[in-house]
Amino acid sequence: MTDAAVGSSPTVDRWSARWSAWRLPRGLHPGAWWLWALGLATAASHTTNPLGLTLLVAVTALVVIQRRGHAPWALAFRMYVWLGVVIVAMRVVFRIVLGGGQGEHVLVRLPEIPLPEWAAGIRLFGPVAAEQVLGGFYDGLRLATMLICLGAANALANPKRLLKAVPGALYAVGTAVVVALSVAPQLVESVLRVRRARRLRGASGRGMRAFRGVALPVLADALDRSLALAAAMDSRGYGRTAAVPAGQRTVTGTLVLGGLLGVCAGTYGLLDTTGPGYLGLPLLLAGLAAAVGGMLLAGRRVRRSRYRPDRWQLAELLVAGCGIAAAGLMVLAGTVDPERLYPPVSPLTWPELTPLLLLAVAVAAVPAWLAPPPTPIPKDRA
Amino acid sequence: MSVLRVAPRTAVVLVLASVAALATFTWPLFVPVQPENTARAGEAPLVFVVMLPVLVALVLAELTSGGIDSKALAMLGVLAAVNAALRPLGAGTAGIETVFFLLVLAGRVFGPGFGFLLGSTSLFASALLTAGVGPWLPFQMLAASWVGLGAGLLPRRPRGRAEVALLAGYGAVAAYGYGLLMNLWFWPFSAGADTQLSYVAGAPILENLHRFVFFTAVTSTFGWDTGRAITTAVLIALAGPAVLAALRRAARKAAFGAPVTFAAPEPGLPASLPTALLAAQAGKPAAGQPAGRDDRQHRWDQHHPLGSRVT
Repeated sequence: MTDAAVGSSPTVDRWSARWSAWRLPRGLHPGAWWLWALGLATAASHTTNPLGLTLLVAVTALVVIQRRGHAPWALAFRMYVWLGVVIVAMRVVFRIVLGGGQGEHVLVRLPEIPLPEWAAGIRLFGPVAAEQVLGGFYDGLRLATMLICLGAANALANPKRLLKAVPGALYAVGTAVVVALSVAPQLVESVLRVRRARRLRGASGRGMRAFRGVALPVLADALDRSLALAAAMDSRGYGRTAAVPAGQRTVTGTLVLGGLLGVCAGTYGLLDTTGPGYLGLPLLLAGLAAAVGGMLLAGRRVRRSRYRPDRWQLAELLVAGCGIAAAGLMVLAGTVDPERLYPPVSPLTWPELTPLLLLAVAVAAVPAWLAPPPTPIPKDRA
Repeated sequence: MSVLRVAPRTAVVLVLASVAALATFTWPLFVPVQPENTARAGEAPLVFVVMLPVLVALVLAELTSGGIDSKALAMLGVLAAVNAALRPLGAGTAGIETVFFLLVLAGRVFGPGFGFLLGSTSLFASALLTAGVGPWLPFQMLAASWVGLGAGLLPRRPRGRAEVALLAGYGAVAAYGYGLLMNLWFWPFSAGADTQLSYVAGAPILENLHRFVFFTAVTSTFGWDTGRAITTAVLIALAGPAVLAALRRAARKAAFGAPVTFAAPEPGLPASLPTALLAAQAGKPAAGQPAGRDDRQHRWDQHHPLGSRVT
């Protein structure tokens, strides 16, 4: 009967209900944000056009400001922007100090400082050409944009929920990191407690002796806590493993070992041009795939239950899809019009945008509205 | 003692992955000339940036595949938390690095496999806490893991002052090595392509090495890296004995590797009890010969007043 009632209700109502459910504030699956950010970073890696890169940074900042929550990691974005500024500055300074002065348009002539023979025959300063500085700027801006994209993922994705999504083979390591993340704040409390106890005994709070008097008890406290934690984990059934037939274990081991051998050979082939082409990247990727397959197979041994698992819903798919689409469009733009995406430094030209590049940037910006809004701070805590 | 048993297969995986990973650090030294134009030459390092996280994940999965004891896991998490909390203490102050100190000591006490895991988890937890996840993270994790692994592989014989001296020396060397590796990784990204300090594709290894040595000497070896080596060595020398004792005490308390059996409680009393109580322990085995399970069961039957009825 309920089925009939739902079925007979007007389509408009259903869509509006879906829309309001869509707009409900919730945290997006962290994997979706990471895929989006990695897509943007890939897009940034395929161009040195400063206009395109600046637009990408702007879009990333827009999405972060629109959709970041109130957790402490949400404030990390600013740090990444500053890191990007430092990278660009470093590249340019390196070009000025150690550039060697190739290029026609000399901006300034700094006094040259030749270094002695042991310093690889390097000379410092000398003429500074516009081409050289601009090349450093383009290169640095590309790297900085990629970093800022990753910074956006850091600010938007909840690391604790991401750890819940690790594959089974990494379950133990993921659990250790979760333990570390939850114990770290308790250490502060432990330090305060030990210091209070010391003050009650009339000890001073300064100097090397005070440091030892606080640090060692805190360490001992933490170690004791780990034993209590292990007992709690045991009593809740941690470490339950599924029985794995011997045949499957052999397959896993063969896959992992064979894959790693392939990776080693592929790396060698990549760095040695005398060998045939298939020994390079293809072998490396095949080896990685085999090893990862073995790892995932080994993860089936782990049995775990999940409390409130994060699910991939339409919003997650769309956000991740936006990032991947942006990367694809940028690669396409590079094949259609490589000159505009890698504007030449000499002769000096003004960089120009292409329609495909603009489309890639626009697609990258869509999650600013498409993603569900972040959960607001509860009133009593605000 | 070793908390985490490293099976032969795991050791092989570790060596293979380390060899491949070393290439991701050192590729600028022997990268061939790229046939494409220079703007696209940036693709080769990207392959390695993608490859290394997978390699690190593989090794971590393989190390824990034997099923890691819950006590070892909790210890790992707690020590990683302490390390992650120590790390920001030094950041920003030139070259003061506080991570390696506990990593080296814990690697020494808990063995190479645990040291490797601790290096990775510490840096990963620290990156999550400070939202510092980036392409550099897998490289830092692996370099720190090697530091912890090496600390576990040091000769076991020295104890007392010799041990602290050995660990302090190792800490200083490892701090320099970590700095060199991270510089080597960062070199192509920081100096860019066309400066006199950049790597030259296709040049002989020695020439590139010469350039790199100069780059690292100028940018960090005499500043950051020396600061890091000194801090690590001094911290180990000053606080090492006390921390080692605390860690060993925790390891003894946790009794890693003790077989879990479900037998009736044994009457073997701790040695600190008054001798009058010890008299009951007539069947105590000779020192250095741990009693097997069946042996204990046997003694329970013999000496406990309720023995025969309980079994």
